[in-house]
Amino acid sequence: MGSSVSHAAAPPPPPSPLPPAVGLAVALPSKAEEKSEKKVDYLNLPCPVPFEEIQREALMSLKPELFEGLRFDFTKGLNQKFSLSHSVYMGSTEVPSPSSGTIKVPTAHYEFGANFLDPKLMLIGRVLTDGRLNARVKCDLTDNLTLKINAQLTNEPHFSQGMFNFDYKGKDFRAQYQMGNNAFYGANYIQSVTPHLSLGSEVFWLGHQRKSGIGFAARYNTDKMVATAQVASTGIVALCYVQKVSEKVSLASDFMYNHMTRDVTSSFGYDYILRQCRLRGKLDSSGCVAAFLEERLNMGVNFILSAEIDHRKKDYKFGFGMTVGE
Amino acid sequence: MASRVSSKGKGKAGRGAEDGPTARFVKEWSTWTMKKAKVIAHYGFIPLIIVIGMNSEPKPHLSQLLSPV
Repeated sequence: MGSSVSHAAAPPPPPSPLPPAVGLAVALPSKAEEKSEKKVDYLNLPCPVPFEEIQREALMSLKPELFEGLRFDFTKGLNQKFSLSHSVYMGSTEVPSPSSGTIKVPTAHYEFGANFLDPKLMLIGRVLTDGRLNARVKCDLTDNLTLKINAQLTNEPHFSQGMFNFDYKGKDFRAQYQMGNNAFYGANYIQSVTPHLSLGSEVFWLGHQRKSGIGFAARYNTDKMVATAQVASTGIVALCYVQKVSEKVSLASDFMYNHMTRDVTSSFGYDYILRQCRLRGKLDSSGCVAAFLEERLNMGVNFILSAEIDHRKKDYKFGFGMTVGE
Repeated sequence: MASRVSSKGKGKAGRGAEDGPTARFVKEWSTWTMKKAKVIAHYGFIPLIIVIGMNSEPKPHLSQLLSPV
């Protein structure tokens, strides 16, 4: 390429394995050569995450299943694929009341569940003592097409809900079509644009209220961080950012603005995944502090503590429980 | 009639002029099917999972289903 004698001002000598070069090439760091070899192949982009999971990391860290009272879950596996679960819950649940916001009603229920988990077919059913059934079905119709059914059936008339989703997974895109009761129809599409960035959009139509909406979402992720943004015509803007500080620690923050109700919420949380426990905590702009601890006492025995303190509403919720079984 | 149809979540609400007898018949028949399907799903989903699970390999024993251990 050039003579071995460099005429540039006073460049540092290049690292030994590289051949000697002249001019600008000496001043640039040697990594530039590695980067130029990894040219982006726009025809071979990775498949993006499903549209509804675009904020998955932030939701996992910032919204643990906080509860109040006692919770005991027992999962018994009969088979590699088939298991039964028994779950007892005693505590208060919040019921919205017209007079003063929400009121706490003490409830206790036993829930029986059966799970069948197969690579191609997943069936999960949970039935409560008051007759409510929670059903989830996921079936791989072909290699790329998946059918998902989500239903909550009750004994009271007109309170049941169901949703059918058809998911198609392409090479670097995903498309989904949804049908729900009350004449809800929706579709969404997400496409990988670069190896790190994926863009998506969704439309939905509510038959009974004759409402329709459109939304757009973008997700940028690298190994260390995930940033997502979502805008919808219902007037909601949601941004979130998750940074993986180390193997065991990740920090997440979330911002949501509702244009119709002029409501702004922002939260910040941490997620510690340690060998024997998982601790998640969050702090909210509405004055709410929460923490959730899952501690592994033994193989298959987990101890759970949940705490949520709402300083503004003066509402203190503490829960404890145990989960036995995988 | 309009309330019964709309409560079952059909997209086309039966407002305005009366559609022909065939369309009304199809709507009422599909409402009846949805009601029956909901009852069948409500009572039969968990037994369906149990039947599919008990027939998967390796077949578990009936006593494993009932005992708490």
